[in-house]
Amino acid sequence: MMKKWWWLGPLVALGCQAPGTQETGSENTVNVYTHRHYDTDKQLFAAFEQKTGITVKVLDGTDDELFVRLEREGVNSPADVIITADAGKLGMAAQKGYLKPVRDSLLEANVPAHLRDPQGHWFGFTMRARVVAYDKNKVNPEEILTYSDLCKPRFKGQILVRPSEHVYNQSLVAAMIAHWGADSARKWCEGIVANLAREPKGSDTDQLLAIGEGLGSVAIVNSYYIGKLMKSEDPARQKAKNSIAVALPTLDGIPYYNLGDLSATPHLDGIGTHVNISGGGVTAHAKHEKNAIELLRFLSSDASQAAFADGNMEYPVKPGIPASAVLQGFGKLVPDTLDLSLLGRYNAEAVKVLTAAGWR
Amino acid sequence: MRRVGWAVLVLVLLLLAPLLVVITAPLHANTSEWSFVLHELLPSHLRETGLLLLIAVVLAVVFGTGAAWLVSAFRFPGREFFRWALVLPLALPTYISAITFASLLGPTGSIRLALGIPFDIVNLPGLGLVFALVLFPYVYLPARAAFSTGMASHLDAARMLGGGAIRRFFRVAAPLARPAIAGGAFLVAMETLNDYGAVKYFGVHTLTAGIFRAWGGLYDVGSALRLSGLLLALVLLLVWSEGRLRKRALHSTTDRPTERIALTGWKRAAASAGCGALLIAGFLLPIGSIIMDAFRTADLSHLRTVLPSLRNTLFIGTIAATLTLFVAIVLAYGERHDRSRSRMFQWAGLGYAVPGAVIALGVMALAGWIGERTGIILIGGIALLAYAFCVRFLALAGQPLRAGLAQQQRSLDESARMLGASPLRTFLKINLPLLRPALIAAALLVLMEVVKELPLTMILRPFDLDTLSTRVFDLARIEQWPDAALPALLIVLCGLVPVLLLDRLLDRARS
Repeated sequence: MMKKWWWLGPLVALGCQAPGTQETGSENTVNVYTHRHYDTDKQLFAAFEQKTGITVKVLDGTDDELFVRLEREGVNSPADVIITADAGKLGMAAQKGYLKPVRDSLLEANVPAHLRDPQGHWFGFTMRARVVAYDKNKVNPEEILTYSDLCKPRFKGQILVRPSEHVYNQSLVAAMIAHWGADSARKWCEGIVANLAREPKGSDTDQLLAIGEGLGSVAIVNSYYIGKLMKSEDPARQKAKNSIAVALPTLDGIPYYNLGDLSATPHLDGIGTHVNISGGGVTAHAKHEKNAIELLRFLSSDASQAAFADGNMEYPVKPGIPASAVLQGFGKLVPDTLDLSLLGRYNAEAVKVLTAAGWR
Repeated sequence: MRRVGWAVLVLVLLLLAPLLVVITAPLHANTSEWSFVLHELLPSHLRETGLLLLIAVVLAVVFGTGAAWLVSAFRFPGREFFRWALVLPLALPTYISAITFASLLGPTGSIRLALGIPFDIVNLPGLGLVFALVLFPYVYLPARAAFSTGMASHLDAARMLGGGAIRRFFRVAAPLARPAIAGGAFLVAMETLNDYGAVKYFGVHTLTAGIFRAWGGLYDVGSALRLSGLLLALVLLLVWSEGRLRKRALHSTTDRPTERIALTGWKRAAASAGCGALLIAGFLLPIGSIIMDAFRTADLSHLRTVLPSLRNTLFIGTIAATLTLFVAIVLAYGERHDRSRSRMFQWAGLGYAVPGAVIALGVMALAGWIGERTGIILIGGIALLAYAFCVRFLALAGQPLRAGLAQQQRSLDESARMLGASPLRTFLKINLPLLRPALIAAALLVLMEVVKELPLTMILRPFDLDTLSTRVFDLARIEQWPDAALPALLIVLCGLVPVLLLDRLLDRARS
């Protein structure tokens, strides 16, 4: 039996020398937990390393998993920066005490106030809008001015959207709850469900491809995926690419169509299009706080903002940095200026509303 | 002997600890949304879990048993080829084949559009079919082993009494092979319960999907833990029923190999066509599509980013397989010398049915607790990852080991003991060397699963360490599926080696 025990030696050794535990000691590093996994991010981290000499170590995963890991690691956590692709999750991280407030005049200058936490727990650095792609041969642009327009009988059997499982749909409904209240948000969800072309399934890109095949004429998707599709050379995507136009609907107007009582519709003006952010903050137990802030600053700089815009088809947050030409072609984005931490507060409510409305 | 008893008990407890953490957490965890989960989510998620299990398991049993019976009892063109080739679908992870099938037969799938098929596959029955097509070899392998040996005289007797081929199958062969078929069906059910990637993409509401909905959507970890507890209960039920089916098994005597009858006429063609269709749908079609996508998107820089992931994958897989095998050997030894411990193995193997993410939650809770008290940082270490894999895949390693040991006559042990060898010495010198094919099979099975595994790896891996499956998932998550084809192909290739070796070993073990 003794012969068999030799396995344990190397195993214990490996356990103790795991990369994650070893490299936290090094001064010239910044350890990043990120939900984002884009080539653009990788290139930006490389550029940061080159510029500052600070090594960027990355662990990617979904935000929920990263949060659990962070919580279990506690004060020993190697993480210095958390990056997620959803404001709700950032708000939750701040609420649970995973993030530490940062006061930094450069960050505050680069990131508009409504796209960062008032106490400085997190800062947004890109925006994605939840917009509507439509078949330009079947739908006129003036038919979709608000999200509520999608509930009209005109679009019966026409709407394509992914399952409610996905946080992008949950955030959109959370924003509606914040502006309209839960009852009206539910009316909207029911209106969408009544107009579905098919059971919600697949990804955002799948909805766009479905327009190309004539399976529906209207899809609720993120701007970023339309941008990617429009840049794609893949022959399988050309049909969708050629038939799609984009509307930037606003949250104005509450959907009372199902009630049949249009006179009672309270009208809201100038709320703008639902946006969500990708953003990051410094962890509560960061061992390399200075490097962490340096990285956040770098991500909000002109060069990084332009890279997000052109490389990854996202809307930059920094005023004065233009979106990519493709996104500008969608029209001028007027983002909803809702306090984004509310998206986190209403997320559970949104899941309930979506479930109650029968949105798979 | 008492020391062995303790060692076994400690190991089992160690393996169950993360699950115990999960199952007891509801007692003290706060749930903010439980009544909503109970009334709104649970009914539909239970219903769809049941439906999906039913479709996947029934179809997998039909495919697996049917194919196994054909290649074991008959001769027809291509039989030799199909005999081993029908194992191949096992190399495909369920999430990869699900996405591939969707890209071919989904609403905008290339094959669906080209042929004008009026329905698509992205729905619950479709997913059940996809699972069955990928997982049926779990039934096929043990059923083929059962049909090929140990029942020749029964079959001959049935034949002489005038039983036709169909009657012989239903009245003699299938009942005799029932434990084997049940064992395979059990594995199919476990894999189905555990999947998250495919159900999410197909929008099917399984219990596992519900766990993630409560966790990520409702921000209610407490409810997620309660649902996990429920899932565990369901798994226990499956374990129990499999045990019962096994217990009522007729013990097959050693018998000569089953004689294969030559098929003629249309039956000949039908047998070849049936096996061929299964192989095409379960393996050739998805792999062909992946290969085409891989070549379409492959370039040198892409390959360069993927190769380190391949190395990491094999590195982690080897360590995990070694640890799991070691634990399985100790447990097998314990069981050999005290049959009352046979339950131990089943308990210890429970993790196989639990979603990787849930195990990761439990493992992290444990490691965090240890970290708080001792200051030893385990999270992010390879050891913790290997431990988690051991919790998850012990049942897989146990299966061939226990089967191999069961085949060894107890008189062997008794002779050695009578000649004065200690139980340990008997095990090391007699049982273990005879077990070599099973040991290799066990190690390969674990290695293959680690290569395919996603959620556990994702959550527990060290910093800056990508594996092939995390690469695939990252790319699939940002909807760049064609780019994920290259790492996906490598996963399948990594999986193919063990699958083919396994088939060989099972053959040799019999002959």
